[in-house]
Amino acid sequence: MYAPTPPRGILLVLDGLASLGKGLWITFSAMFRKPITVPYPEKRVVLPLRFRGRLVMPLDPEKGDNRCTACMRCVKICPNHSIDIEKARGADGEPVPKPASYRYNLGTCIFCNLCVETCPFFAIVMSDEHELATADPSRLVIDLAAEKYSLGGKKGAWWQKKFRGEEP
Amino acid sequence: MQSTLHRLLYDTGTLVDGWRAAAHAGWGWPSFAVDALFQLGWAVAAALFLALNALFIIWFERKVAARMQLRRGPNRVGPFGLLQTLADTGKLLIKEDIIPSAADRAVFRAAPFVVLAATFLLFVVLPFGRGLVAADLNVGVVYFLAVGGISVVGILAGGWASNNKYSLMGGMRSAAQIVSYEVPAVLAVLSVALLAGSLRMGDIVRAQPSYGYILLQPVGFLLFLVASNAEINRGPFDLPESDSELVSGFVTEYSAMRFAFFFLAEYTNLFLAAAFATTLFLGGWRGPLLPPVAWFLIKSYLVVFVLIWIRWTYPRLRVDHLMELSWKVLLPLALLNLLVTAVLVKVL
Amino acid sequence: MSEAPAPDLSTSDEFLLNVGPQHPATHGVLRVVVTMDGEVVKDLQPHIGYVHRGLEKLFENRLYEQIIPYTDRTDYLSAIANNWAYVSAVERLLGLEIPKKVEYIRVLMAELNRINSHLLWLAAYGLDMGAFTPFLYAFRDREEITVMVEEASGGRLTTNYFRIGGFTRDLPASFFPHLQKFLRRFGRAVDELDTLLVENAIFVARTRGVGVISRERAISYGMTGPCLRASDAPLDVRREMPYSIYPSLDFEIPAGRNGDTWDRSWVRIEEMRQSLRILRQAAEGFPEGEHRVRVPRNLEPPAGEVYSAVEGPRGEVGFWVVSEGGRKPYRVKMRKPSFSNFSALPEILRGLKIADLVAVMGSLDLVVPEIDR
Repeated sequence: MYAPTPPRGILLVLDGLASLGKGLWITFSAMFRKPITVPYPEKRVVLPLRFRGRLVMPLDPEKGDNRCTACMRCVKICPNHSIDIEKARGADGEPVPKPASYRYNLGTCIFCNLCVETCPFFAIVMSDEHELATADPSRLVIDLAAEKYSLGGKKGAWWQKKFRGEEP
Repeated sequence: MQSTLHRLLYDTGTLVDGWRAAAHAGWGWPSFAVDALFQLGWAVAAALFLALNALFIIWFERKVAARMQLRRGPNRVGPFGLLQTLADTGKLLIKEDIIPSAADRAVFRAAPFVVLAATFLLFVVLPFGRGLVAADLNVGVVYFLAVGGISVVGILAGGWASNNKYSLMGGMRSAAQIVSYEVPAVLAVLSVALLAGSLRMGDIVRAQPSYGYILLQPVGFLLFLVASNAEINRGPFDLPESDSELVSGFVTEYSAMRFAFFFLAEYTNLFLAAAFATTLFLGGWRGPLLPPVAWFLIKSYLVVFVLIWIRWTYPRLRVDHLMELSWKVLLPLALLNLLVTAVLVKVL
Repeated sequence: MSEAPAPDLSTSDEFLLNVGPQHPATHGVLRVVVTMDGEVVKDLQPHIGYVHRGLEKLFENRLYEQIIPYTDRTDYLSAIANNWAYVSAVERLLGLEIPKKVEYIRVLMAELNRINSHLLWLAAYGLDMGAFTPFLYAFRDREEITVMVEEASGGRLTTNYFRIGGFTRDLPASFFPHLQKFLRRFGRAVDELDTLLVENAIFVARTRGVGVISRERAISYGMTGPCLRASDAPLDVRREMPYSIYPSLDFEIPAGRNGDTWDRSWVRIEEMRQSLRILRQAAEGFPEGEHRVRVPRNLEPPAGEVYSAVEGPRGEVGFWVVSEGGRKPYRVKMRKPSFSNFSALPEILRGLKIADLVAVMGSLDLVVPEIDR
């Protein structure tokens, strides 16, 4: 289909004036519609379940501890090495399947979700926290194993769904 | 004898004249001193109005523009964001005043004041109410159009003194635009003067029928509106001062309060253009029940709303289109309008 | 890159104007050095590379699955198209059979993305032209689409939704109700934006007859997408090199006759309407099925090379993937439409006035990260 050819002569002038009038009408009628802005921070946007915010390692309610076994899959899949795991050592010095520290670099994370998808134990998940700005760069590297992220609270049910990888 | 308050609201002119006559007779001052004092009074009142108007009109524009764009506009500083302009002025006051090292310092400093002075001088002939005018010159209309052109000097000065080829080009474009759009504006006003039979603002207001000259001079009103819009560098004619176009305008090098003065002058010009249009075409301060000042302000702000509406709807005109519009479209229309008006005045 | 010869100021009025890397009207970090004679543009030297991130080299060091988030970021406004081009290249290398449902989801996402991108183009173009209001209206409509995409993928702009073999998650239950609501509303929204900006007399006066490029020159520069179609060349990757379920969908290819700026604008508006048509058909014919094909966790495509292209909002987005049988590709070359479209700018602008620079650059719909990769 081809673009329409413009009208000629006096019709062009009338067409032009009509377009000016129509434009004015559109902006005028917009004045009486409800504004589309959400008055942040008094009201916040409801985030969808799959929203990719900050990475967290929640506690498994049955285990009382996180589910990470330090298998290093997330470390290997992360496109820019934002995750670094130190395997914990048992009393005899042998490595045990738990992370001693799970260092997550919030500054380099691109929130791509590959780590969450590759984890076979549902240990990590991307939360809905997106207001993460800080003036202190040392706060950008977080030890998720030390955080003890709780699954309770008002958003407990929502968290459980996300944690278990369920569909809404 | 009606109460002073009623006279103050509804018949200010005779009230002030009475005071002036009393002052002449009773104070023992030489007459020029009494007149000078009264004119100083008018000047102070006009300056106060300029400041309050700027506060209001900037808020008004931002709110109306926001509503047209499905937003809310300023709503945090003061109730409904009314004090936003005060906050912005405070910010501009504490900003660093930067003058380019190679700029012409004296002219650079003077330019905003020339523009503001030209704007301020226009308050002299504007009739705010019945007799509420600083000096109802018998060539009031000519005064308005002529003094409005003084701002061109300020703009050129600002563009030149910035020592920036883009500012200079912007300033020259702006000056050319203002001068070109003067012509259709003058001709439209001339048609009104023909109808009223006088160049005095007060006479024109009184000579109008109650619904104003707008129905008798629809073409003239549109012409005047478009031409004024172009003269105040606003709306679809704001190429010289636009920031997303290539050649930035003459205000580029201005910062802090100097910029604020250009800004203030622009918004006051907006009000004055609307006020002038109200006086000539919409019946000025005339209207039932409410005090004349109220009618004048209501009608003026209605025209201001229309100008804001136009600005936020249309894209910008390109420079050559701007000039073409003025010389090839508006000027012939204005001449035609004048001719038809003259013929009809003679015949009817 | 060679510098333009300095103008001889003793004999001519020529001077160099630097539309520097930071400028409100260039869509991204782009530098254009214009040799001007008074108001007329004599020559134009584009300087790119300000956003060069070495992505193609980076890909040689990343696993096939890890590359997908990066493809989002080459052209952030058409993340879906970039995802799709890359993923379809790898799938071809693997010889995968893609289920019908996956293809339908891909078409839905891609057409939503196309509308999204064109709306943003309209918003930014209006802003360049001095019309501030269409920006807000376009973003209101964009928000509906972005929310739909966010509910499905988790990301608003950098979606990272496509995977090799399908998708990680199926479309959420809220997707189709939102889509139906959007389909009901959007037709009128396009008409509103069309009337407000593209049909506006001032816009028409600024864009009609400005920045013309002929069909032959456009093809010789390798222009694709709306910029090419406006020059009387109704060529679209979806028809010329068909992929996915497009052969079974009924839609038209809008084209312009003159190759000027207005035609480019009109083509994009009309493409939004055609995308709406496609969306309706895809939503109606949506099948049941799997949302992904199982691929091995350690993906090692056989050695070979494949070029796969899709029709992105800006034109033909292509990925040429060379595999030598390892877990990382040997070479990934990206064919980006803005690069070719931009290369035609000197020819388009030669002889025009400087005031048209902004209008023409906006109509080419450039995204600089795509040019620089």
